[in-house]
Amino acid sequence: MQNNKVADSENEEAACLQKEFEWILTEEVHAVLNQLHIILVECVKRFPLPLYGNDSANNVKQEKYVLTSPPDQLRTVISVNGDSIAHADIQFRVQRAHQQAIVYRTYIQNENPWKLNQLLDAGNHVQEALLHIDNIEKRCSFCSSEEVLHILGKILGCLQRGRTCLIVPHKKTVDEIIKSGNMKCLFPTLPDDLAITFYIQSHKLILAVYQSSTSRGLTTKCDVYQAECTIPWLNEVLVLFTVALQLCQQLKDKICVFTQYKDFTVESKPRRRSSVSVRMADKY
Amino acid sequence: MSAGTNLVVPVVLWGKHPPTHCISCIFLSADQRTLVSGCYDGQICIWHVDPSTFKMIPRCLMVGHTAPILCLANGSIVMKNNYIVSSSENGEMCLWDLVDGKCREVVKLPYVHTNVQSYKMKSSEDVKLFCNGYYAEIFVMDPFSLEIIFSLSSREKSDWISALYVLQPAKREEDVVLGLTVQGTVKVWTIEASNDHISENEPIFENESKIIRCLNAISLICCSQYQRTVLIVCSKYWQIYDAGDFSLLCSVAPPFRERWFGGEFLSVDRVLVWTDEGKGYLYFLPANCIPDNKEFHKKSNKDDAPFLYCTLSDAQIEKQPLACPPAMRYYHSTALGKILLRGDSEGAVKAWIVPEFPIEEIVSMKSRKDFKPERIQPFISTSVSKTWKAISPPPVGILDQLDVNDQPSIKLTASIYLPQQSRLVVGREDGSIIIIPATQTVMLQLLHGSHQQYEDWPPHQVLLGHVGRVNCLLYPNHTHSRYDKIHLLSGGVDFAVCLWDLYAGSLLHRFCVHAGEITQLLVPPNNTSARVQRCICSVASDHSVTLVSLTERKCVVLASRHLFPVVTIKWRPLDDFMIVGCSDGTVYVWQMETGHLDRVLHGIAAEEVLYACDENANNSSSGESGLANPAVHFFRGLRHRNINAIRHATQRGIHQLQQLHHSKNQDESEHQRTRAFPLMIQGLRTNPKDPESHILCFDIEALIVQLLSEEYSAMSPGTLEAHGLINSTEYEKVAALTKSASPDAHKKIAEFFGRVKDKAGDMERILKEKDKHGIISKVKEGAENVQTKIQAKAESIGIKPMFADKKGKYNI
Repeated sequence: MQNNKVADSENEEAACLQKEFEWILTEEVHAVLNQLHIILVECVKRFPLPLYGNDSANNVKQEKYVLTSPPDQLRTVISVNGDSIAHADIQFRVQRAHQQAIVYRTYIQNENPWKLNQLLDAGNHVQEALLHIDNIEKRCSFCSSEEVLHILGKILGCLQRGRTCLIVPHKKTVDEIIKSGNMKCLFPTLPDDLAITFYIQSHKLILAVYQSSTSRGLTTKCDVYQAECTIPWLNEVLVLFTVALQLCQQLKDKICVFTQYKDFTVESKPRRRSSVSVRMADKY
Repeated sequence: MSAGTNLVVPVVLWGKHPPTHCISCIFLSADQRTLVSGCYDGQICIWHVDPSTFKMIPRCLMVGHTAPILCLANGSIVMKNNYIVSSSENGEMCLWDLVDGKCREVVKLPYVHTNVQSYKMKSSEDVKLFCNGYYAEIFVMDPFSLEIIFSLSSREKSDWISALYVLQPAKREEDVVLGLTVQGTVKVWTIEASNDHISENEPIFENESKIIRCLNAISLICCSQYQRTVLIVCSKYWQIYDAGDFSLLCSVAPPFRERWFGGEFLSVDRVLVWTDEGKGYLYFLPANCIPDNKEFHKKSNKDDAPFLYCTLSDAQIEKQPLACPPAMRYYHSTALGKILLRGDSEGAVKAWIVPEFPIEEIVSMKSRKDFKPERIQPFISTSVSKTWKAISPPPVGILDQLDVNDQPSIKLTASIYLPQQSRLVVGREDGSIIIIPATQTVMLQLLHGSHQQYEDWPPHQVLLGHVGRVNCLLYPNHTHSRYDKIHLLSGGVDFAVCLWDLYAGSLLHRFCVHAGEITQLLVPPNNTSARVQRCICSVASDHSVTLVSLTERKCVVLASRHLFPVVTIKWRPLDDFMIVGCSDGTVYVWQMETGHLDRVLHGIAAEEVLYACDENANNSSSGESGLANPAVHFFRGLRHRNINAIRHATQRGIHQLQQLHHSKNQDESEHQRTRAFPLMIQGLRTNPKDPESHILCFDIEALIVQLLSEEYSAMSPGTLEAHGLINSTEYEKVAALTKSASPDAHKKIAEFFGRVKDKAGDMERILKEKDKHGIISKVKEGAENVQTKIQAKAESIGIKPMFADKKGKYNI
């Protein structure tokens, strides 16, 4: 009698579990992907780039920013157009030998803009994620968790890479910066021991000036002066990235719960249910 | 890492279940004798192909990448150089030798390639790799050094390149690169034959560019015969363009519920395109797409659309839903003509022969109103699992003797080898843990003999306590001697961590502190507080981390609320911090004593904290290596041919991939120690769904040392001398060295030793009289074993058997 009751409740639980799994695959996955799509479209809209049918990018205005550093070492006014710095007026003071401070001034002109590759990369990664979602929507339903996990893995990968390229800029050596194509945008050119770079780090645009000097013969030291400004739309982009990532991960976690029982598919026979229920019953 | 000069012979016991092989890309070598398939778990499988029949069997599995393989390309056009280059989703690139499966070169770039075309430039002797991917340039790389030689950049509309094609225009001395950006701008670069001006820092800019609105193209192919037409495949259409001015000639949408996934020109007037469902479609092009037709380049005509005359499909394909789109590639085989290859998520490889219809036949097909394209079945269809089934007797597993004939064998899900005890501990899918003498079970699988007739041999011990799969095992004493020798830990799918008495086989405690299956068990470093030193660290799929105390039998710290899966755990023992790194790059810093979350870090700050832990660990010799990228260690190991390092890294790489692992954070001294064991057993799993296979590593040097020392210990000094293994002159030389300068002192020493010997003799006699049960002889046996070990150790550091001789004399 007792045993029967246990078996009944186990079967019931297994049936519920099966129902829940089917619901996730047929309803929840699509609902979440839909939501994700909305978030990512919002995210992509923030980019001043012609991404994912983003027509507003064509009539985007130039944005002006002023970058300063506290001790007035560095002062720069820039205009950003899309993913490049179209114009910049860079002024900075460098300590030279004999305690002498020299002021340098250089410009970036419209015809030779400075590319902010991080913006392009981040935007393209979001677009990739959107394309992955678009590819699914035409499909009516999923029948296995593997399918969903595979797609979620791809979307997560895109979002992860996109977010990372904004918040963790590539580390470059001063030598690489000097040799990079962007340094050729500067006019007039700077002395050989000075290097300039613009990069994004989370919601901030940072200008770094590197001065490498050889003191006492062999030891080279490198001084860095930095100035920064906040780019408001990047902040929104990062929030949307984070929300999208979390949503995606949560769905993945939900599905992972069921993958422990690999014999679970939408059409799986109740043959194996009892064994499933035993494990589940023990767990809760 | 210590560079091992010792010879280690690895033997793999695969077991009855084939490894999962979800194919992400496929490649056929130039001589058509080798097929290569890369998979989403990062392994690369080499298949042996019979070029005349195209029968294939998997030959070897190359483990090294830690992320899905995205591209495979030819490494050389020289026939005897059978090299390929693989590139993965996290920027790793490897050069492999297909003959012996060795990795020749490896790099990790900040750039991820999505497509690599290997192409021999006019000016170079061998192929170069033309790469495009998640970056705005085209990189040209050397396949042997895997270095970027130069890059192609865009002056205008700089964007990611989604497809590229390199060709050599007829009658011209230069190479031309066609590239198509994500936003649909086609660009043309010209590489002059005299490439003296090419350098890494001076990019080549495009000659021309044109917006053609072909968004997110998958591939771009130029017809090789006239180089006048270009096929561009996007997921929603494929199109033919005139290569001269890039004007659109025709466009075709995919069949219902399918998306185009790639394509190739079969001839001037025919194309083969395939879809994400893994089917091929053959089209006959309209007159305005055929360069030698007088209608060429005219406006497309409604009555003359691309004509589908044949499909390459499989009845089986339609029944079975796949987890992901199959990888497909078109080849021209010398023996079989045009073939289309397909590798899918089930590890299956299929191949079609592309039929050649004469033009008259196609014209007649076209005229028929009720024409239905013929469906061609693949001429070959095989898979990893089919090969496995075909092997008779099936591949052996390490615990095959426990199988009951008619029942499917229980999958092995975790294993750990205890070399000191020479025991193998294996966790299984049904929750049982088996402990078995390793050499005996190996003997049973590999050697024929009377031992196979014994019933219930070797004797094994079963630990029952988990409900459902055992995910990970840990023997903490292995990592550090501060842990009790009897303690063995296991983590299971039932959310529990079990503490076992290894010798008694009893369950000491069950920790139920997690809310998800246990994925990993680790040992905290040695310089933590006394309380934490008695703990082990466990990680679960609910993204929680705990420190459970083995002595207090309770959870000391519960670090949960991580939003993303835990991928790294590092330690700052001096600051009392446990640092948890998550898959989204966030880092959580926990105080171990109080269990407080100290701070949460993102971005650069997070990276720096993780990096600082590594530095810290390097400074203190006892520091834990943590879970640094195993690929790096693996590659280093490959380069130095250090099997230990490779093994170690492979295991960690595999485990990291699936996040189901137990710790093996041995530091360097640990590596040294493991080398002394003649046999090591390593679990191997390429996918979390798979049961474990096992690699047996026979260390020949250690084996010789052990065999010799056993033999010597059995010989009397006389026989040793007779065999010339020792000689008295040598002995005297050493004795002379140990002799004291003053004869007086020498005499005293001799007297002292004499007394000790007398005492010892007395003692032995007394004991012998008391011992009626032969305990003494056992003890003596034990002592002799110890002696053997010491001897082995001594010999390994260069002390000759003289040592044994002295000992022998005392024993008489």
